[in-house]
Amino acid sequence: MVKKKIAKVLAFRYTILAVILILLAGGLVLLPKYQKHEGIKPEELLSNTISPERYMTTDRLAHIIINQDPSFILIDVRDEKSFASYTLPNAINIPLKNLFKEENTGYLNQNQYDVVLFSNDHFYADQAWILCNRLGYKNMRVLKGGINEWYATIINPLKPADNMPASDAELYATRKAASMFFGVVYPEQFKVEAPKAVKQAPKKVITVEKKKKAPAEGGC
Amino acid sequence: MKELEKTKRISIAAVIFILAVIIGLLTYKKPKNSYAINTKTTLEKITGENYLVALNELNNPDYVLIDIRNQYDFEKGHIENAINVYAAEILSEDNIKVFDELKENNKTAVLYGNNPQEPNAPFLILYQLGYENIKLLAIENSYLQNKLITKNSEIEKSKADVTAFINESIKKANTTPIVKVVAATPKKVITLEKKKKAPAEGGC
Repeated sequence: MVKKKIAKVLAFRYTILAVILILLAGGLVLLPKYQKHEGIKPEELLSNTISPERYMTTDRLAHIIINQDPSFILIDVRDEKSFASYTLPNAINIPLKNLFKEENTGYLNQNQYDVVLFSNDHFYADQAWILCNRLGYKNMRVLKGGINEWYATIINPLKPADNMPASDAELYATRKAASMFFGVVYPEQFKVEAPKAVKQAPKKVITVEKKKKAPAEGGC
Repeated sequence: MKELEKTKRISIAAVIFILAVIIGLLTYKKPKNSYAINTKTTLEKITGENYLVALNELNNPDYVLIDIRNQYDFEKGHIENAINVYAAEILSEDNIKVFDELKENNKTAVLYGNNPQEPNAPFLILYQLGYENIKLLAIENSYLQNKLITKNSEIEKSKADVTAFINESIKKANTTPIVKVVAATPKKVITLEKKKKAPAEGGC
């Protein structure tokens, strides 16, 4: 009797197994929706943002631009108006609100170049960096202090006082030279270029002394 | 007999498969923190909404101040009634609970640090996790005789017009080069007359 019942159930075993499998498959379809994650984990993102590794100093950037390092792309995340008024040499303008427009992903999501983001200070650039980092974009940097810092250190460096250490004076000399590269002209720089008044060699006057006839010496 | 063995194998395989899936489902852990909005919506929101708070707006009773600096800085001096949540530990369970509570009570968390850039990252991460009741206090801290002084600070303010500065420097340099060509004054030649030797006067 029992055997018969078992046999009856067993006759349906394939259907039962199939139903369970289909149910589980349906569950698997629903599962990814539940935890759909875009980009890296929040914990990982937090530890990336806490580390100051992404910051680049203005001195380093000036060095890179002057040496025409081809492996860097500069991206200005300010609006078009600020971009038009002043920007770093060869920078590309991607205003923050257009960051994820399709035509811009080519600049951001690549492995060949190092991307340096900058804005007036580094507030907007940081925001752009955080969003890009969440998506896993590589080789992104942020110019620390942005254009304001760039102005204060490279374009208009502060002359160190006489009692400051020699390293400051050296740094000032480097920055001043860099600022000349970026178009700043110093008055003393011009003086050097000014035509030098050619000194005329003083004429030598050679006075020929006439031989005087020796006066007759009186004799006796 | 052969057929029976075949069907047995199929059912065993099917049962094992089902067991594997069930074990997988049971051990599946929900991640602790997960994003509520994707990067595109975040970007739209942060470029469209005003999330900045100035010092004079702080008397709003819905605002709860959160100091994201480390404990040492917090103890040295902080704004009144602020809670200390260090930026690096913002996602720990206890701290997330704080933010959850604020969200439930319809309070707004106002983050601040030593400058407006500091709370930027914690702000943006929490924002992406779905805490929309979060704002950023745009201030700058300094100390005077160990007393914390805060003042408003404007973010992304252009401090100097660089183009104007460069043009000015060129102009300034162009006006100076009036080089005086010093005319070489002819040298006076002074010929020293040699004293003539007085002719020897003959004499006897």
